[in-house]
Amino acid sequence: MVSVINTVDTSHEDMIHDAQMDYYGTRLATCSSDRTLKIFDVRNGGQILVADLRGHEGPVWQVAWAHPMFGNILASCSYDRKVIVWKEENGTWDKMYEYTGHESSVNSVCWGPYEFGLILACGSSDGAISLLTFTGEQQWDIKKINNAHTIGCNAVSWAPAVVPGSLIEQPSGQKPNYVKRFVSGGCDNLVKLWKEEDGQWKEDQKLEAHSDWVRDVGWAPSIGLPTSTIASCSQDGRVYIWTCDDPAGNAWTAKLLHKFNDVVWHVSWSITGNILAVSGGDNKVTLWKESMDGQWACISDVSKGQGAVSAITDTQQAEQ
Amino acid sequence: MAARWSSENVVLEFRDAQATTMSVDCLGSHAVLSGRRFLYVANLEAPSELARKMSRQSKWDVGTVQWNPHRSQAHIFAASSNQRVDLYSWKDGGGSVHTSLQGHTRVISDLDWSRFEAEFLVSSSVDTYIYIWDIGDARKPAVALSAVAGASQVKWNRRNRSVLASSHDGDVRIWDRRKPNTACEYVAAHLSKIHGLDWHPEHEFILATSSQDNSVRFWDYRQPRKYLNILSCQVPVWKARYTPFSNGLVTVMVPQLRRENSLLLWSTLDLNSPVHAFVGHDDVVLEFQWRPQKEGCKDFQLVTWSRDQTLRIWRLDPQLQKLCVSDPADQPTDGASAVAETDKSPASADSEGQHARVAVGPHPHDRDGVSRAGGGRDSAAAASSGLAQTLQQEFSLVNLQIRNVNVEMDAVNCSCVVSAHFGTHQVRLLMKFPGQYPNNSAPTFQFISPTSISAAMKTKIHKILTDVSLQKVKRNQNCLEPCVRKLVSCLESDAEDGPSSGPFVLSNPVAPALQAFPRVVNTYGSYQDANIPFPRTSGARFCGTGCLVYFTRPITMHRVAPPTEPTPRSLSALSAYHSGVLTPMKIRSESQNALRLYSGSPTRADKDTVSISSFYYKERKSRRFKSKRDVGDGRSIKLAGKVIVQEISCLLPVHKVLGENYVLNTRDTEDTCQKNAAAALAAGRRDVAKVWALASAATGRGLSPDSDPDAEAPWASHPFGRNLLETLVEHYSRMSDVQTLAMLCSVFTESGPDRPHAAPQAHPARYPGPSEPAVTFACRDTPEQAGARSESPEDGRHGNQGHADLREREQHDMNKRLLNPTGAPQFDDFKKCYAEILYRWDLRDKRADVLKFASCPAEPHQGVGLRVLCCHCGSPSRGTQCAACKRLSFRCVVCHVSVRGSSHFCLSCGHGGHTAHMMDWFRRQEQCPAGCGCRCLRRSNF
Repeated sequence: MVSVINTVDTSHEDMIHDAQMDYYGTRLATCSSDRTLKIFDVRNGGQILVADLRGHEGPVWQVAWAHPMFGNILASCSYDRKVIVWKEENGTWDKMYEYTGHESSVNSVCWGPYEFGLILACGSSDGAISLLTFTGEQQWDIKKINNAHTIGCNAVSWAPAVVPGSLIEQPSGQKPNYVKRFVSGGCDNLVKLWKEEDGQWKEDQKLEAHSDWVRDVGWAPSIGLPTSTIASCSQDGRVYIWTCDDPAGNAWTAKLLHKFNDVVWHVSWSITGNILAVSGGDNKVTLWKESMDGQWACISDVSKGQGAVSAITDTQQAEQ
Repeated sequence: MAARWSSENVVLEFRDAQATTMSVDCLGSHAVLSGRRFLYVANLEAPSELARKMSRQSKWDVGTVQWNPHRSQAHIFAASSNQRVDLYSWKDGGGSVHTSLQGHTRVISDLDWSRFEAEFLVSSSVDTYIYIWDIGDARKPAVALSAVAGASQVKWNRRNRSVLASSHDGDVRIWDRRKPNTACEYVAAHLSKIHGLDWHPEHEFILATSSQDNSVRFWDYRQPRKYLNILSCQVPVWKARYTPFSNGLVTVMVPQLRRENSLLLWSTLDLNSPVHAFVGHDDVVLEFQWRPQKEGCKDFQLVTWSRDQTLRIWRLDPQLQKLCVSDPADQPTDGASAVAETDKSPASADSEGQHARVAVGPHPHDRDGVSRAGGGRDSAAAASSGLAQTLQQEFSLVNLQIRNVNVEMDAVNCSCVVSAHFGTHQVRLLMKFPGQYPNNSAPTFQFISPTSISAAMKTKIHKILTDVSLQKVKRNQNCLEPCVRKLVSCLESDAEDGPSSGPFVLSNPVAPALQAFPRVVNTYGSYQDANIPFPRTSGARFCGTGCLVYFTRPITMHRVAPPTEPTPRSLSALSAYHSGVLTPMKIRSESQNALRLYSGSPTRADKDTVSISSFYYKERKSRRFKSKRDVGDGRSIKLAGKVIVQEISCLLPVHKVLGENYVLNTRDTEDTCQKNAAAALAAGRRDVAKVWALASAATGRGLSPDSDPDAEAPWASHPFGRNLLETLVEHYSRMSDVQTLAMLCSVFTESGPDRPHAAPQAHPARYPGPSEPAVTFACRDTPEQAGARSESPEDGRHGNQGHADLREREQHDMNKRLLNPTGAPQFDDFKKCYAEILYRWDLRDKRADVLKFASCPAEPHQGVGLRVLCCHCGSPSRGTQCAACKRLSFRCVVCHVSVRGSSHFCLSCGHGGHTAHMMDWFRRQEQCPAGCGCRCLRRSNF
């Protein structure tokens, strides 16, 4: 049964903009308009404040945990145009790197799959997307896609590391030839797919369906199936599910998940990629699941914090 | 001091300063504010410090105040008070008048320090004289310029030490102080009074004048007949000043037009529309100055003082500065010079600072005169022309790239036409914007032909649109975009409901309409936050494997706006809650206790500080809300909600308990299947239990395929063979049940007699885990041994014997496998995905079990390997026998006999020998038997 296992009182002094747990689900990072990040140890239903990170000069919009194989690393982005990478060493959290290459608010940060190494994508209101790659020895390699989205970029999300055309057998003994891809959404109402070719980032696809700013994009985790799935949500209240069966990744089809009455701010995929959590301006969180025949249905509404997950009923479906 | 949602970063409030003018010193560290009773000196470096006060005894307001722009004299400032100029010196937090310059017989209108000589100051007065003072000799003016008419402004040229300009009603006179008898040039600049005068920072002959006649004009005084350029503002311009960076100009409106509290930034290369508006002041801006730039800082800072009694510092980042450099493609040379300008500016910060020292104080009498004269006459005209401005701004900012909708905007006629096609319907709607728009006056809506919707529908839409627009204009907000979006949603829902709804007709796209405003996207982003998305105040994320982390706004925080209205798109919407536009709300918040705007700044020094939380208001402990939850009455207001972690693993197709209980026994597949079936049943997965029963049957001994291709057809070709399995895989793929998929694939890979890539060196735990060190110590002596010890079944060697037809046999090998071999890479992906999940569950052994069955080769071994140096010839060898001298390569350190079988080494000192001897030795000893002194047991951690 679905149950609340922890309720964390963050004591942030202003509104919270993001909360995320680490890989193992033992620690929780939150960020807020009060310009701080906090890290809590939430094992066994407890809440111990591990760190209170100050360094941003504006509201902090988003946090992202890196894969634990690189250590305990957290990235944050803020209105102050900065991206800060924090690292825990010997129990204390410190700035590992500060990136100031954007000229406006940085709205989204996302770590790439661990197969690519320590690589961070950042989307900013100056329209650019930066890709920061850790090259060791405190060095970061920076690639910037200027004017990725006119007016501004609101969200970035990495594709899982899958070998293109995974159905073709790999020659044995060779390192799998991963292609780095990610998706972004912006104020030009577009969802764009990016691909690295010969070390250069290129626009791969441009997905049009939204009629207002795209607020979030989420590339679904892969469980080994050849289909790629992306969710996007927008100021227009719509959530689209984009799928692509084509191994070349060119033929994307959109399916409207639902039209909400208010802006949809965030989409998040479950680890198996079959449940989508949707949240937005209406202060509600809904969970959506794809049925066996490919239809999306709302399976719960956790907005009240009661944790009641109801079965899909006809009335609910009629409402949707 | 509080953070603001705009480009300003410091706000200082001086509640009862009543200062009329302000000046920033050339070091950028102090600002002086002149009130009637006190002069305040604020420390800009430490804005939170209390400002120092200097009392002054005068019944006159300070007309103009200005710091000396020379570093050597940076502590001196001049303040004019009626007919006198007082020179103050500011030292160590205190100041006093040290000299007074007396000579004028009527009120002084303006003063200006020379940029070239620290001791020279010019003052102008309505007594028709302009005096140049040498402050070393304060008894009388050094030079007197007689102008017949009273002067309102006087400014030194920034390039030529002798030249200065003064304004007299609508005229400008250029003077050379070496020829004081008469002005050297007259410019009939404006028809109405000139309020502001500013020399170009780089060009000696160019100046800008701002006037009551609603324009700013740019002049080369060598050609006084014709202005170089004109900026039409539709409202009287109080001051227009060049920016310290290239091609910029900042204007501020005449104070009595109280509607306009913003400063506008223009590019002098394109005067059609401002590039930015500094929005924030609640009342008119009285003075603005550039703060000298800090070393190495790319941002410029603008210091403003407003009648709302706040001093603000605004940051102009390079992006904003760039907006002033029109289109770089059009102006390659200008662009380049602008870049160079920005680059060198830190070095020339000092001189920039000096340039910026232009203080023009409105004399109280002057200003009142202006407001009396200008207010009544111009306000109507100003309002309507101002409307075109606001509308144009709104038009260019709207985001209406909606399918099937076309909006033709006509700012000049204050109207726009919205055309939409939905289904078979066509709608054409004319919106007309009244003169007061958007200040509590809504536009009118009128359907024009060829609108094809029913009359009832028209009435309905009309009502809805009126409601929407009223909601907006009540708060003095723009309503075009909300109206169009509402119209679209009405039509959409109608098209879906209506029986006659046909396929969507794609109308011509919006592009043509937008071309009327080619600079729509970036340049006109006059509010800097207009392109920053409105922050999320709630969110949900799946984390770990089975957790949902979510946070929402505290339930006591309610939207200020009615809930029917969507949450705004961009952060600039917040400025409405701050800049005083939102007066109805403020009045309400003061009159009713239940409503209040809350500050969100960490210091909470300023109650009106705008934060995201300002968009929401908090329901105070009204009785209705006093439920059990509100026990903590006395607690401070919580702006941050709680973060809730919810266990949702029951919704997922994978189960941790199954991960723990599943087994993969390579020797007894049937037993594996039965155990797994029991585990699935215990976990409540009856479907999976059945699958395991089927798997058990399919892998039964009776069905194992014959190695001879000529025997009966293998079970795989039976409908319950490969077909059944494929159906199962497809089914669980659709369920995203990667656990079942990976387990099935592992079991059936197992039962297949050969694995496509199972190289002989298959090693159980060789697949590098995400956080395991990539280095594996291969402690085996020989690869052969390792292969033999591997538990992987390697019964496929018969293929090597190959006396039958090899191709036929290969075909048979393929055919008899239950899992289709062509899907192997995908099955591997299932296993890898499942392994990743097991890793998150901290089930590393299980993970290794599953990865054993992955056929995809691991990354080639690049870790540390061990070699033996031959004890006879010293050459390295891999086996027991040396490749060079063909003798057994090493001897046991205990018995000194060559070792053939198993051996054991210390990884620290490299000594070792027969495993039995070494075990025996170390049972009693700690040190190496070789006598090298190494404490092998302690140092070998392997």
